[in-house]
Amino acid sequence: MGAGFVAFLAVLGVIPRLTQLTKTMKMIRYYELAVVFGAVCGGLGTLWEPSFSITKYILIPIGLASGTFIGMLAAALTEVLNVFPILAKRIGIDGKIVYLLMAFVFGKIFGSLYQWIYFVK
Amino acid sequence: MKLIVVIHTTKYKENIFLGSERMDQTVYIRLRHRIQVRKNDSIILKDIAQIIANEEVYGQLEKLHVYQVSENDNNIVVIDVMKVIQLITNSFPRADVQTIGPSQVIVGVISKKKKISFPVFLSVWLLLFIGAALTIMNFHEDVSMRIVHQRIYTILTGEVDEKPLVFQIPYSIGLGMGMILFFNHIFKKRLNEEPSPLEVEMFNYQMDLDHYVAMNENKESMKQIDDI
Repeated sequence: MGAGFVAFLAVLGVIPRLTQLTKTMKMIRYYELAVVFGAVCGGLGTLWEPSFSITKYILIPIGLASGTFIGMLAAALTEVLNVFPILAKRIGIDGKIVYLLMAFVFGKIFGSLYQWIYFVK
Repeated sequence: MKLIVVIHTTKYKENIFLGSERMDQTVYIRLRHRIQVRKNDSIILKDIAQIIANEEVYGQLEKLHVYQVSENDNNIVVIDVMKVIQLITNSFPRADVQTIGPSQVIVGVISKKKKISFPVFLSVWLLLFIGAALTIMNFHEDVSMRIVHQRIYTILTGEVDEKPLVFQIPYSIGLGMGMILFFNHIFKKRLNEEPSPLEVEMFNYQMDLDHYVAMNENKESMKQIDDI
């Protein structure tokens, strides 16, 4: 499981992409640490089942961060990257590929919201 | 060494024309990777290649007729460098042709400016939208995301909530933000100067197509036994 988790991160290239965007290649060691630390905390959380009594509004930034991470994973899936160029060529909109991308983004947001608000009883 | 020769020949132009020891004229040709023309255009050497040659031949070389695009051409024509060399040596027997770069040029013949039909675009947009929505729901069910959300809610607040929307709504918005961040695009605006993974992928796809076309549309690049 742990090995699978690390391979998943490494193959999909979320961390490299983040360092590239923020131009912080030198800090990559600390990012590794952050991933390890996060994985350990998650492991402890599921097995040990601690309970804190913090205000529930702390969940807003945490939710946003976890969503962003999953979003980057979804975007990094190579299938997504391979489909877009072919699709854009087929319907002849090389320049407007951003709009197709937006369809994808809004689809993810909509699907997720729908599931949480209506789909689940 | 060759370059020196070229300068030398231009300098003593008269001598070359009069004298019996005429030196070779070196012509450097670099084919372009990909060009676009319209139907019935006539392609001259300047269109398909960068040329370096001495002044006396450059003018003629530039306008050397290479190919006439006709009605029954496909939308892609490949011109091989060997054909170009042959044309040059036919017209300038003394030219010493040096080629640099790609060994064929891909000529895209554009019939008309294609207009994107809006219904097609809209249906593709909806397809992607619905597909993306479905796959994220599949993923959430697959990894029991709801239970994990409830667990996180309980761990942090100490309460139990069947629908921890205070976590889930920011999570959903974050999903979109993460994808935009990864692709480095908010509509036209870019977050930084680098090409996004999508643009790199588009480029790779185009290169693969070009490579395929260069090999398969170019009759000179393959030899097969035709008798069956």
